[in-house]
Amino acid sequence: MKTSMKYLGLFVIAVLSVVVSFGVVSAQTDVTICFGFQDLETEFWVAGHRAITETLRGQGIEVLEYNANEDPNRQLEQIRECIAQGVDGIIIIPQDGDSANTIVAEAQENDVPIAVFNRPPNDRSAGVIVVADNVSATEQAVEFIAQKALRQFEITGEAVTPLILVGALQDTNAIGRRDGFFNVITRYNERYPGLFNEPIEVATEWDAATALANLEAAITANPNVDFIFTSSDFLFPTIRSVLEPRGMWVPMGQPGHVLLAGLDGDATACQLIDQGYVDATGVQNLFLEAELTMNRLLQAIEAGETAPNEVLLDPGFALTAGNIFFQRSDMWGCVLYDDGFLDQ
Amino acid sequence: MNSRMNIRQLLLNNSTIVLFIVVFIIFGIWSPLFYSPENITNIIKQAAFTGIVAVGMTFVLLTAGIDLSVGSNMYLSVVVSGLLMRSTGIDVLPALIISLIVGTLFGAFNAFCIVRLKIIPFMTTLGTLIIGRGIGTALTESKQIDFPEKMNDFGQTLFLGIIPMPIVVFALVMLAGYVLLTRTQFGRQIYAIGNDPEAARKAGIDVDRVMALVYILCGFFAGLAGFVLVSQLGGRVDRSFGEGREFDAIAAAVLGGTSLFGGVGNVFGTFVGALLIQMVQTGLQFNLVNLYLQPMVKAVVIFLAIFFDSLREASQKRLKRRFIRPVSASTAGGD
Repeated sequence: MKTSMKYLGLFVIAVLSVVVSFGVVSAQTDVTICFGFQDLETEFWVAGHRAITETLRGQGIEVLEYNANEDPNRQLEQIRECIAQGVDGIIIIPQDGDSANTIVAEAQENDVPIAVFNRPPNDRSAGVIVVADNVSATEQAVEFIAQKALRQFEITGEAVTPLILVGALQDTNAIGRRDGFFNVITRYNERYPGLFNEPIEVATEWDAATALANLEAAITANPNVDFIFTSSDFLFPTIRSVLEPRGMWVPMGQPGHVLLAGLDGDATACQLIDQGYVDATGVQNLFLEAELTMNRLLQAIEAGETAPNEVLLDPGFALTAGNIFFQRSDMWGCVLYDDGFLDQ
Repeated sequence: MNSRMNIRQLLLNNSTIVLFIVVFIIFGIWSPLFYSPENITNIIKQAAFTGIVAVGMTFVLLTAGIDLSVGSNMYLSVVVSGLLMRSTGIDVLPALIISLIVGTLFGAFNAFCIVRLKIIPFMTTLGTLIIGRGIGTALTESKQIDFPEKMNDFGQTLFLGIIPMPIVVFALVMLAGYVLLTRTQFGRQIYAIGNDPEAARKAGIDVDRVMALVYILCGFFAGLAGFVLVSQLGGRVDRSFGEGREFDAIAAAVLGGTSLFGGVGNVFGTFVGALLIQMVQTGLQFNLVNLYLQPMVKAVVIFLAIFFDSLREASQKRLKRRFIRPVSASTAGGD
């Protein structure tokens, strides 16, 4: 009896050891990914960095992080260092479209699969490129406020004056957002003639001080503006400082409310939608983008594919006053906001 | 003929003001609303922070120096005051004082490197441009800082119920700059050093002391400008805050007639330069000029201002030229 108990004990220990060791093996994939990024200068990139590193580490993947501090040459050197260390794959957030092409070529020449996150290279034919569809996300957000403008127009018969804060004209993201805005305005004007007056374009150069000066000039010249789209959510505080002294910073449902939409989906936009000042924002689905990046890269590593070339589009979505309760957790800005990002 | 020459000389001597008036008239004809008091107030208000930094820059340029770090200084100053405002709940006035202290210390560090370590101003301030932004980024961990609501109120307060606070601060800075440069020994010493530092030294001027004070003053004004700007922007500071503002400040000073080689310039010219830059930007937006054309038009106006200024300098040099009568052959051969 004593002997059989001893054997039973040994058997249980052996089984447990196998189970435990199997578990450990399955959690450690032995995959190392090099993640090279530029300085995290806005909350968008902070959230993007967090989405990627957490997604990868959640899968038990070892992540080597390199910050190039906005220096494309340094990033190229860092990627060479990663290649020399024998990493299995590379993810980069490049400084610009040109340097991204050079880095992708360097990785592929050394048979290391590479993915470019959110900031696309000029030549999109090489590497896995995960990019937000700015036109689509903008259209969804602008469509939401255009619908509201239409309802207003049907009641009052007064044309709506739209205004767009345009980003830096050398930035393809800014151009995509401008195109998305004009697509919606043109479409609605064709369908409902007289709905919109000639849109007013305001240059921002992605600089809050420039945006402030130009928006103030535009509103002084056209005080009847009642429909504003900002190409980036980071300009909402600037918009507020122009509208508030003029009595135009009014929440939804109250007379004098200016229809407001943006793009990015940051924490301030989430807060302002909650408070009722902003109607909608086009959101880049960072979590989806991180997942797309990781899945495609791991697939390439597993298949021994050294130069995967594919463009993966994130269509984005519009977070509005109507769907914020259901889609809140999909918006990176709301996740940050709910974590107390704006209180830190 | 003489009166035509005089008019030409008068126009050239005041080329920036003439250009300012011409641009103002053109934009006004284009859109009469441009002359509205609201728009004129907006132009001065938006020019305020550039003008404040440009006054500091004028002091530096007058000594033939340069300060490339004012944008980073603006950023670091407001980052420190913003963080303290958020963590300790201090009011606007103490936050302003902290901003000024940080700006002044920043300027003092520049002064130490230039005067004591004898590193040339260009390299010193290029270095502190990077260091300042780096420290600010590290302090914020790349996150934006949202100032409390009361900061917003400060930017939107109307002095005597009419004049926006940024304009009041701008006017005080202009006045202080004017008095310092024209009514004090310190101001005269700055011009002397800018004209010839060696001669100034021989004349008994403590060149190092004056140079140090100039950079400290520039830092002080940068801290103040950062605070004024953040109060206008709705209280948000991100990493790009103040980036490239050093070039606006230099452009405003140079447009106003300040020489990059030192010794020439004044605060009133800088005021006109800052207003001209802002008026062009506002006018283009006001009249809905194509976004792709706007930077080109702005560049043309700045180019014209500099071109007329160079014409003026050339003409003044011609007028000052001393003619020595050539010695005639007969005289030379006499005696």
